[in-house]
Amino acid sequence: MRVYVIKRLLQIVPTVLMITLVVFLMMQSIPGDPVVALLGDAYTEEDAEKIRHAYGLDKPVMVQYFIWLGKLARGDWGVSVLTGRPVLQDVLVRMPVTLELVVLSMGIALLIAIPASIIGALRQNTWADYTATSMAMVGVSIPEFFVGVLLLLTFSIGLHGLLPSSGWVYLPGTCPNMVCGVSVWGNMQHILMPAIALGIGRAAILTRLLRASMLEVIRTEYVTTARAKGLSERPVILKHAFKNALIPTVTVMGLQVGFLIGGAIVVETLFAMPGLGTFGIDAIIARDYQQVQGFALITALAFVVINLIVDLTYTVLDPRIRYA
Amino acid sequence: MNRRPFPLALIALVVSLGLMCGTALAQTPKRGGTLRVSYGNSISHLDFHTAPGYEMMWVAMNVGCGLVNMTPDGKFVGDAAESWQTSPDHLTYTFKLRKNAVFHDGTPVDAAAVKFSIDRLKDPATKSGMRTFYEPVHSVEVLDPQTVQVRLKHPYGFFLHMLAAYRTGLVIYSPTATQKYSVEDRKQGKPEAVVGCGPFRLVEWVKGNHLLMERFDKYFIPGQPYLDKVMIRLIKDPVTQMAAFKAGEIDFIASFSPEHVSTLKAQNPGAQIMTGKETTPMLATFKITVPKDGKPMSKDRTPHPIFGDVRVRKAIGCYGIDRKEIVKIAFKGEATPWVGMIPPGTMDTVDLNSTCPYDPAKAKALLGEAGYGPSKPLTFELMTNTEKSVFNVIATVIKEQMSRIGVTANIRLTDKVTWMNATLQDGNWDMYVEDLLSLVTLDSNAYLTTTPSTWNQGRHTDAKVDEYYEQYARETDETKRKAIAKELAEYMLDKMYWNVISGSPFYMVAQPWVKGYTYNREFEVHYNPVWLDK
Repeated sequence: MRVYVIKRLLQIVPTVLMITLVVFLMMQSIPGDPVVALLGDAYTEEDAEKIRHAYGLDKPVMVQYFIWLGKLARGDWGVSVLTGRPVLQDVLVRMPVTLELVVLSMGIALLIAIPASIIGALRQNTWADYTATSMAMVGVSIPEFFVGVLLLLTFSIGLHGLLPSSGWVYLPGTCPNMVCGVSVWGNMQHILMPAIALGIGRAAILTRLLRASMLEVIRTEYVTTARAKGLSERPVILKHAFKNALIPTVTVMGLQVGFLIGGAIVVETLFAMPGLGTFGIDAIIARDYQQVQGFALITALAFVVINLIVDLTYTVLDPRIRYA
Repeated sequence: MNRRPFPLALIALVVSLGLMCGTALAQTPKRGGTLRVSYGNSISHLDFHTAPGYEMMWVAMNVGCGLVNMTPDGKFVGDAAESWQTSPDHLTYTFKLRKNAVFHDGTPVDAAAVKFSIDRLKDPATKSGMRTFYEPVHSVEVLDPQTVQVRLKHPYGFFLHMLAAYRTGLVIYSPTATQKYSVEDRKQGKPEAVVGCGPFRLVEWVKGNHLLMERFDKYFIPGQPYLDKVMIRLIKDPVTQMAAFKAGEIDFIASFSPEHVSTLKAQNPGAQIMTGKETTPMLATFKITVPKDGKPMSKDRTPHPIFGDVRVRKAIGCYGIDRKEIVKIAFKGEATPWVGMIPPGTMDTVDLNSTCPYDPAKAKALLGEAGYGPSKPLTFELMTNTEKSVFNVIATVIKEQMSRIGVTANIRLTDKVTWMNATLQDGNWDMYVEDLLSLVTLDSNAYLTTTPSTWNQGRHTDAKVDEYYEQYARETDETKRKAIAKELAEYMLDKMYWNVISGSPFYMVAQPWVKGYTYNREFEVHYNPVWLDK
């Protein structure tokens, strides 16, 4: 097992580097010059050339990439062309916001998906099942942005500011500066709507998948045997059926992280949250190559690490699975 | 005798007096509170002399101070300067500084600081976008600690306008803080490095999230500012801005999307929606020349294959575009259809609308003269960007109007950075729709129009335009200046170097309890007279 984990961790390196190379080349192929965005209405060709030279943007594309790689090996993620701030600093400041959003969204998704799928599977072809399935369809069909706007209209406006429409209050220990709103309750108020907006779509997908898995598992012989042995329904479903039905769902959960990060961009923009999503989209729009690389690196890392955790989770769910 | 009227008159008098007192009390500014502001775009950085963008300017005007300010009706009032004198030949300006003006770090706002700041702006190493405006400055002399004298190379009729209102205007830097901290420290918004002499001091800036300012107690205008703090939050999405405004989470929106104004009005009947005469032009600009050798920015030019011909420019821009229809559709009537290059709210503006009436028949005739018609239909690319959705609406309407005169306009939608690259770096484009900066005076767009300027995006090569600008800038007699402005505007229209569609309306929105704010123009956002009536 240890060997397997080490092998997977080593595999992360070329995977992540390949992703950063692809992103780098894609950014270079997009028309637009970061120096133009930097100078804005103060743009002159003379100043632009000086800045390009200062940031090494006048070097050949692959040279720029290897320079970035060399700095990365020393722990330097580069400096943003737009802000002049170290990219790693900005990533670390924004990561807790997006991490919290993604984790809570997945939590909300599971909170909805697990009971809905179990009820749907156990009460197949009843009103309970139809309700769960229909809501899953609706959840899959509605984009996060639309759900977010509906939540805004309901909870911020309709219910007279029950929940704040935008902004952020940090959790204790995650505030990057001296003067910060820090409060667990404040943080919960600000994260709730974004997490629901992002989580509902995932809940829908997980509900459908988990329901299908459950339906398959509850018809297996070992479940019938468990019932025949006189076990009550609760341990049969939760201990025997659900645990086995979870395996394909856990796989999809790992893949859903990618969609959550993508959805976070939209949700963070809508709710004006200072997370990695807005960081990434601002970087792409401004052609800030260093920031984009930083965003690509952290999201690639997050994705591969989470999928490693997913793979390791199988061994917990199914003791028959062992990695050499 | 009827005694009734007397008690009634007395009651009426008492009630009137009461109302007058009540009104007077209600108008007395209340001290305290935090003004919660929303910006729709990020602040680029906080080195005020070099950062682009309105959002930075709005911070600079409150954290920094200059020599003079300009009121909405165009009068000059002192900022850090309490008085000034101009020599009869208009070559020397002598400013007397307020004795009580200090920087946030406690150092005095003295003549040396003013000299330091202007010299810094003029220095090419600073790379300030304001440098071009200081070209007429020959030197700055410190006569005594409270007196600074600026000598010009030649008369410059807009020197005070420039100091007051061209982009940030002059922002005086503390020499101590500037030398102690680096440009990077200022750019990153370290409060100890971003030292101004304005009514508010910087407390904190978290890029992409918020900026917090607090009252500077030693501000040189006694009693001001009234607010304890100003908290500026970044809310990019206009729907979220409206929700936050409706929910009472924000007090002031510094720039509100014109297409959502009617919705906000309907949702918030008590909201103060502030605007003024347009000072920003909405343009449909033509590419006039292209590089002969194919190399971008080459000085060797040849006419653009389509719009190099003034007949085609006039056919499309003058007679082929129905500006009233565009304003009705794109701005719901809340803009001024306009033809002249000087926007309706800009100084020395000239109404030239009658010169270019919408006339599809005339447009077709001119196109026919230029060789275009059913046998050789004209097709061109109309570029615009995603910065504001109204650009795409205008482009779509123009496309439809072009089809009425047998012309095909293919819309290319890009993001702002791509648009800037194409237009500033002599890229491949035919026509674009965009608005430009707010123009205080015609002189403030010289850097957008003169032949050597990078921002001469159409790449015209007409040196006569440069002559006009030079004449206009050096003319100190108001009447003569107006005449030059008119001549320049007529010339530009005759050549169609600028194809203006309308003014571009600008809105600021405040809650009913926000008092004391005066709408000036897009650049000007001053929080020092603001107070909260709650």
